[in-house]
Amino acid sequence: MSHTVDIPQSLKDSLRKFRFARRNAGHAALVVKVNKQKLIMEEVEQFDDISPEDLAEELPENSPRYVLLSYELKHSDGRKSFPLVLINWAPTSSEIGLLTLHASAFLDFQSTADVSKVIDIRDGAEGLTKDIIDAKLMGK
Amino acid sequence: MSAPVAFSLSQTAITCHAFNADRSQVAVCLNSNDVTIFSRAGNDWKVAETLSEHDKLITSIDWAPNSNRIVTASQDRNAYVWQLTPDPQTGKTVWKPTLVLLRINRAATFVRWSPNEDKFAVATGARAIAICSYDAENNWWVSRHLKKPLRSTVLSIDWHPNNVLLASGSADMKARVFSAYIKDVDSKPAPTVWGERLPFNTVCGEYASPAGGWVHAVGFSPSGDVLAFASHDSSISIVYPAGPVVYTIKLNYLPLVTLTWTSEDGLVAAGHDCQPLVFSGSEGGWQAVGTLDDTTANKGQGGARSGFGGASPVGKLNSAAFHTFRSADSRGVGGAPGSPTAGSGSKDTELLTVHQNTITSIRPYQGHPGAVTKVSTTGVDGQLVIWDVNAVAGLTARMSSLRT
Repeated sequence: MSHTVDIPQSLKDSLRKFRFARRNAGHAALVVKVNKQKLIMEEVEQFDDISPEDLAEELPENSPRYVLLSYELKHSDGRKSFPLVLINWAPTSSEIGLLTLHASAFLDFQSTADVSKVIDIRDGAEGLTKDIIDAKLMGK
Repeated sequence: MSAPVAFSLSQTAITCHAFNADRSQVAVCLNSNDVTIFSRAGNDWKVAETLSEHDKLITSIDWAPNSNRIVTASQDRNAYVWQLTPDPQTGKTVWKPTLVLLRINRAATFVRWSPNEDKFAVATGARAIAICSYDAENNWWVSRHLKKPLRSTVLSIDWHPNNVLLASGSADMKARVFSAYIKDVDSKPAPTVWGERLPFNTVCGEYASPAGGWVHAVGFSPSGDVLAFASHDSSISIVYPAGPVVYTIKLNYLPLVTLTWTSEDGLVAAGHDCQPLVFSGSEGGWQAVGTLDDTTANKGQGGARSGFGGASPVGKLNSAAFHTFRSADSRGVGGAPGSPTAGSGSKDTELLTVHQNTITSIRPYQGHPGAVTKVSTTGVDGQLVIWDVNAVAGLTARMSSLRT
């Protein structure tokens, strides 16, 4: 696979730490962006215990991001699990060059983070709600 | 109390016009794909530059006074922001265009800069209004759409002084006030009579005139607390949202298509009757006051008329013969001086008003918002006229037959 964007080792370590952090309650998120000038991925922010709606407020309206989300999922039989979900935050009003670069590096990022569940959110803040994420995860 | 000053900029219609901050230049669209910038040269306007980038008719131009940027919107579904930059090769300052991706699939009809000049709104035929702001992180203009509940082409928009609220007039016969709050550009606005806590695309009010009809023009008063709109049923309505109280003035004249406020209790509107009408009122009521075009005054010698190079009121350029040939050339009206149809041919189709065809755009020319002293109008007859707002004459009973 051709690599358009490099993933620095520090980011890979952050991803591992995020994956193995023990969670008791709440959703945690790790936001990564692509640096177009240097062609590398960078960690932007990490949130511990944030709701999907607040996360939608924090994410930029016109810029693509990768969001690794540890989501507190309440199953119908009472169990609580914390699956890892990768959100492809790609609003259509983003600059097109950056959007294409983001899309080309996505598969690479997904395999590095080793996450199977992916949610595409292309319409901005309206598309990131608790109901949508629940529906996507339960549907699988 | 000065007479209107008329300039004949072209033989074709003027689609739209916009002056720069000190009124030394005006950017117009002469019914074509290009913007023509005229510079003031004494008593006349000379072509300074032509900006070509659009592929179809330019429908609207706006010139930001403080940041000196021009935004143009066109039927080719694009908008360009023009900025004066030094050309690397020649060193002169040229207008450099930046494309704004509006993401619409129909023509753009109207464009206006916001009061702080950090956003602009584009009314489109795609049943949406595109609010465009500059994204510094990615170095380009980003647009967000106001969609609900627009059901047809948006014909006109006007910004509220707080840089957040936007009034729109649409072909679905409604005038609406939207919130165009953009997260990283605007700070939270103070509450107004239109509402508080207004996320993007909130509808603060929706109004229609009694008989319906496309809403051609909308305008906020200088304070932003009152909204006026003109619709195709030949009426002009003024809305006080607190009540809500709507005063509708039904006119016996042809519809008005453009309006501008001159003060908190007065506005000027113009349209298919080819003359600007003055309206005045307050919370207690509104009425038509008069017209800025005094058709009864003797305008024969046209002392203020200019264009075609000559500005002198006397001399060979103003004789009856010259006038006959000029009207034969510009309006195709026949009759050389010797022929039987001389004289009467040209008088038949000439209107007594300064403008000879519909006025399509009226904008404040002199004074600051709240105390406008002069307004400028352009129309389908290719003329740019500057009017003194205080020179109001009474309305004649039957304005539609303004001929000899």
